[in-house]
Amino acid sequence: EVSSLLSAYSTEADPSSYDDNYRILQQFIEMSMDGNKCELSLLLYPVFLHMYLELVYNNHQTKAKAFFAKFRGEMEHYHDADLHQLSNITTKSHMEGNNFIYNLKSNKFVVRISRESNHLIKKFLEDKNVPIIRNILNVQVTIDEFEGLPRTKNQIWASAGGLCGEAKQEENKAKVYYGLLKEPDIDIPLEDEEDTLEDQTEGGGSSKSKRRKKKEFLSKKNKSDPNAPSVTRIPLPELKDADKVEKIAAAKESLKRIRLAGTDRVSPSVCCYTFTNAFGGVTAVDICDDSTLLAAGFQDSHIRVWSLTPRTLRSVKSASELGLLDKEGDDIFDRMMDDCTGTESKSLYGHSGTVYSLSFSPCRSLLVSASEDGSVRLWSLLTWTNLTVYKGHVWSVWGVKFSPHGHYFASCGGDRVARVWVTDHHQPLRVFAGHLSDVDCVAYHHNSNYVATGSSDRSVRVWDVLNGNCVRTYTGHKKPVMCLAWSPDGRYLASSGEDSMVLVWDISTKVLIAQFKGHTAMVNVLAFSRDGEVLASGGMDNSVKIWDFQQMISDIDSDDIGMLRGHATISDKNYLLSDFPTKSTPILHLHFTRRNLLLAVGVFVNN
Amino acid sequence: IPQDSVKSIGESIGILQLPDHAMKYLSEETSFRVKEIVQEAMKYCSHRKSNKLKCQDIDNSFKAKNLEPLYGFISEEFIPFRFASGGGRELHFIEDKELDLNEIINGSLPKIPHDVAMKAHWLAIEGVQPSVPENPVPETHFSIEVLKKGDLKEGRKGVPPMKSCHKPENSSLVALKSRFTHELSVEQQLYYKEITEAAVGSSEARRAEALQSLATDPGLSQMLPRFSTFVSEGVRVNVVQNNLALLIYLMRMVKALMDNPTLNLEKYLHEMIPAVMTCIVSRQLCTRPDVDNHWALRDYAARLMAQICRSFSTSTNLIQSRITGTFCKCLHDDKSSLAARYGSVAGLAELGTDVVQNLALPRLQVEGGRIKNILESPLLNPIDRTAAEHLRGLLVKHCGPVIKTIRQPPDHPEEYLKDYGSLGPLICQHIIKLR
Repeated sequence: EVSSLLSAYSTEADPSSYDDNYRILQQFIEMSMDGNKCELSLLLYPVFLHMYLELVYNNHQTKAKAFFAKFRGEMEHYHDADLHQLSNITTKSHMEGNNFIYNLKSNKFVVRISRESNHLIKKFLEDKNVPIIRNILNVQVTIDEFEGLPRTKNQIWASAGGLCGEAKQEENKAKVYYGLLKEPDIDIPLEDEEDTLEDQTEGGGSSKSKRRKKKEFLSKKNKSDPNAPSVTRIPLPELKDADKVEKIAAAKESLKRIRLAGTDRVSPSVCCYTFTNAFGGVTAVDICDDSTLLAAGFQDSHIRVWSLTPRTLRSVKSASELGLLDKEGDDIFDRMMDDCTGTESKSLYGHSGTVYSLSFSPCRSLLVSASEDGSVRLWSLLTWTNLTVYKGHVWSVWGVKFSPHGHYFASCGGDRVARVWVTDHHQPLRVFAGHLSDVDCVAYHHNSNYVATGSSDRSVRVWDVLNGNCVRTYTGHKKPVMCLAWSPDGRYLASSGEDSMVLVWDISTKVLIAQFKGHTAMVNVLAFSRDGEVLASGGMDNSVKIWDFQQMISDIDSDDIGMLRGHATISDKNYLLSDFPTKSTPILHLHFTRRNLLLAVGVFVNN
Repeated sequence: IPQDSVKSIGESIGILQLPDHAMKYLSEETSFRVKEIVQEAMKYCSHRKSNKLKCQDIDNSFKAKNLEPLYGFISEEFIPFRFASGGGRELHFIEDKELDLNEIINGSLPKIPHDVAMKAHWLAIEGVQPSVPENPVPETHFSIEVLKKGDLKEGRKGVPPMKSCHKPENSSLVALKSRFTHELSVEQQLYYKEITEAAVGSSEARRAEALQSLATDPGLSQMLPRFSTFVSEGVRVNVVQNNLALLIYLMRMVKALMDNPTLNLEKYLHEMIPAVMTCIVSRQLCTRPDVDNHWALRDYAARLMAQICRSFSTSTNLIQSRITGTFCKCLHDDKSSLAARYGSVAGLAELGTDVVQNLALPRLQVEGGRIKNILESPLLNPIDRTAAEHLRGLLVKHCGPVIKTIRQPPDHPEEYLKDYGSLGPLICQHIIKLR
């Protein structure tokens, strides 16, 4: 198949005419109006790329080398990684079986330009005698035309960087139900004991403010969101009694939450957990939602779970002992645990390769792990054993994430697909294929209806779990995307990666709305505060940075016409609130507790 | 991989006459494949969240390409390259020493490396980095920032960067948490003085006024640390002096602070809880234990403690379980005094019937025996007598309702004697009365 794709390159054209053709194109762009210049120069890279490959394919090796050396320096920096790969390919035989070439050939390079600029190109192709360029633009490049003014240099830069150009506007047309699901009605005993106590002592009056707060809290929960999918769109597991207790505890805790925004704003406090003596071995970290458990995956393929509270980790009693217990007792969940097995940390053995990702289930009794051995494993945190091995990914599994409602989880890996599984089936329910390179990270939407993935093809995609369609494609990262996070209201998606930028995408208006620049190395992890006021990011540059997310949202100009055409104007205002460097600890994980205390986890690196 | 290398590698395995074009092809092809493998390995490296490429990454990339990995290569963190030059050529190499297997087999085992450990510290408190050893020294950070800026702005003009160090002090990213205590305004100082004096003074009317103010006034949060320290220090001093009245006043202050809806005591529990605990389980709280009513103080403090538990205990701080732990330890300790036992039982009783049922009931028999021994001992002093009687009364009062719920009538004193020891008959009477 590859060779048939490649045969499109075979031409009879004179190898020496390539230089001239390319130069004519350069001159044309140079001569054009300033407004169109930036857009037109987008054409240079795909033309250069395919001209070089044509030369290589037709065995003009020395010519190709000279062509490459001559014009390479004029390319944008974000193409460096691809150009590096390109420079490795020097003979026709290299082209076969090469993933990079296959991607370029099987997907047309997308260039988005305004109608005006497109018109200029058409005219250029008619006027000048440039058969090679005409051929390339016809066969290898798709021009996605839009109405209105040409984009500015910054706007172009913001969305450039994808392996095969930008995303076509029509790919993002689908409606996304990004709202949160309506919370099930649970009778939350709003600390009535506390209320009566206050009433006794105060005689009413004083507890008013607290009550109002509670009412607000309740009304917020019960309001149904117009953008939310129906509760039955994706079948969700029924709530168990234990889940209800958990939800009540979470609601109680959230009343004590520190406000990170507003007039009485408090800067967040950060507690840093540092691994020592790990010899660089910690590769994955997760903290469960109520911040009581921490799991770490190691390079030597074992997993270890720590308790972050004084409560020890216990396993259940043996079957014969369990039979003796009174199952109706209130404390049955406590009694079924064996106190003798209590330890501060427990190890899980089973993988045969580096563990790359971990995720706790919302109920805290399950853990999924993804490993280099191509398997995803499900562990029970009651018996501390492996329950299931999910095989399906061909190469390494890079990421895994439990659905916020449990039952489902998503994984992604080196085989360029993301999969959605249910815990009780050994085969995946959905396979999301479309990325052109490794899928490096995955994030479940809070309403369990969507999954976001980030890839080494430098794009971010959002998939609909219901029908497996890709509903959003975003380009703009210049290097592989390593981390994703959904904002608590479900409308915004933050992504970060090796290019040390944090980008924020709006699912509703379908555009990039912010670039947070400040990190100096790969950003490993992103975390939204529980109310979505701030975004925390941590990376290989040994620092935790806090960004003023709410301010950024309120600064967005909703009248910006570019928004409708898929390119908003991004303000270059600095939203960095605070920066907390560590001594020598790259940050692997960040987690906001229900009270908005930030937990950071890293490994001490001895230099 | 230059052609020369291909040639020498060929020679090393006995292929002497390699044609030029073959050599060229080999060198190009191997370079390409090596580059491909390294590129793939980089991917594994970044997913390992590391900056350094390791042998393992290369192995993984072999595996992904369906090639046999090179077993037995493990790189250390630090690879010492040695440099040699000769004949106009430069060479970097790793020293590969020959090892004597006998030495390794017969030598002592190497030390087991330390286990992975996890350590927590505060990276920032309310947005400010505390100056603890775990955090980077802020000064170095300052100067680097400043030097960079200086270089950009003034480096060309030839101004020594040291000079510019002092200027943009507030532009630094890291702020140091100051060690100064927070200043109170003059009015606040006056208020603090008045309140504390009235709260422990002799006039009951003024005290009521002061406590009312503490319990209702908003805007006291700035003074809360002072009040907290006042209480904890006050308790510390007055327990030693057995000043019962002052201890009661201090506990009432705690109650007032707890009741104030605008105050959050959570950050001061580390001072409050020990103070209240002292007033519950201390061996002696007054000068004349036989006549003074220190029992009331213990009861009052126990109720306060229960209130603290209800308001602040969570799954993360586990206040309640720590407090019950303290009470139980006191109860199980044979050497603790009767007064302390009284306090522990009172404290447990206030935490609810579940706690009584699980923690106090099992001790009933032992305590009953102890009380009986003391009351029947020939060397009975009045202090022990009142203490024992109070403890007996308390146990009967609190255990009675609990036993009532778990036992069905009819109530026979003999059965109670058998089940609950010497206190059984008394409890039985109590329950019959309750029913």
